[in-house]
Amino acid sequence: KEAEVPDVDDTDGLDPEGEFEAWRLRELARIKRDKEEAVARELEREEIERRRALPEEQRLKEDLEHAEKTRQDKPKGQQK
Amino acid sequence: MANTTVRGALAIHGQNPQYLVETVIRNRIYEDPYWKEHCFALTAETLIDKAIELKAIGGVYGNNKPTEFMCLLLKLLQIQPEKEILLEYLQAEEFKYLRALAVMYIRMTFRAVEVYEILEPLLKDFRKIRYRNSGGYHLTFMDEFVDQLLRDERVCDIILPRLTKRDVLEDNGEIGPRKSRLLDAMEGKEEEGSERGRSRSRSPDRSPSR
Repeated sequence: KEAEVPDVDDTDGLDPEGEFEAWRLRELARIKRDKEEAVARELEREEIERRRALPEEQRLKEDLEHAEKTRQDKPKGQQK
Repeated sequence: MANTTVRGALAIHGQNPQYLVETVIRNRIYEDPYWKEHCFALTAETLIDKAIELKAIGGVYGNNKPTEFMCLLLKLLQIQPEKEILLEYLQAEEFKYLRALAVMYIRMTFRAVEVYEILEPLLKDFRKIRYRNSGGYHLTFMDEFVDQLLRDERVCDIILPRLTKRDVLEDNGEIGPRKSRLLDAMEGKEEEGSERGRSRSRSPDRSPSR
């Protein structure tokens, strides 16, 4: 029963250029993903620093605006 | 007795290394015919022959049946070979499933910095490997497998130990930024020589991509 042969071919070098090209695209996607994550982290850090620099009441105002906005965006319940 | 961890094994991540494979799968492995017939009394050397014969990576398939890959991984955790032996496994260029096994083991047991240093150079290994799960066999690639190991929590149906994020290690200055051969090539930097020098702590990388 264990003699079943895998139906997927894993032979390398059948199409060297194609295989390399596929790898190149994967590698580029990884580099891009890592870059984007770094940018996102950087943005978050800047945001934190900006807010830390703000006076308390301004920060509170910002928070309330944000809370109001998310409340508006929330889909209203469809109670019947 | 056959299922006990080798005497004098170091605790890994604070526990018996075999417990890194969760209980359900581990018990399935202990009951598996492949484990009983082929993995009994394997040593770091005889395990190589078995790993070379592997046809696929993967966790469990069918009715939660562990793959041979999983059995050998547990065997490695059980006998805990020395670090040098693991690095030798990686060197064996022509046996990709042996390499995949070593990569998985290294990810599970080594320190985070070592994991990044040893595994990242393998991201340029673009050979095909079979991945087996309940849905049958799929094609994947060594670099994708390594990338999954570095990023995902769950690979081959088991939860991996937590790995410190790369940017944390970078901020602490324990590890340099990731180098990609492709990026270097695109920027036209042909600094093969200096890269050799900087990567001396890594395993010497020989790969068909060069």
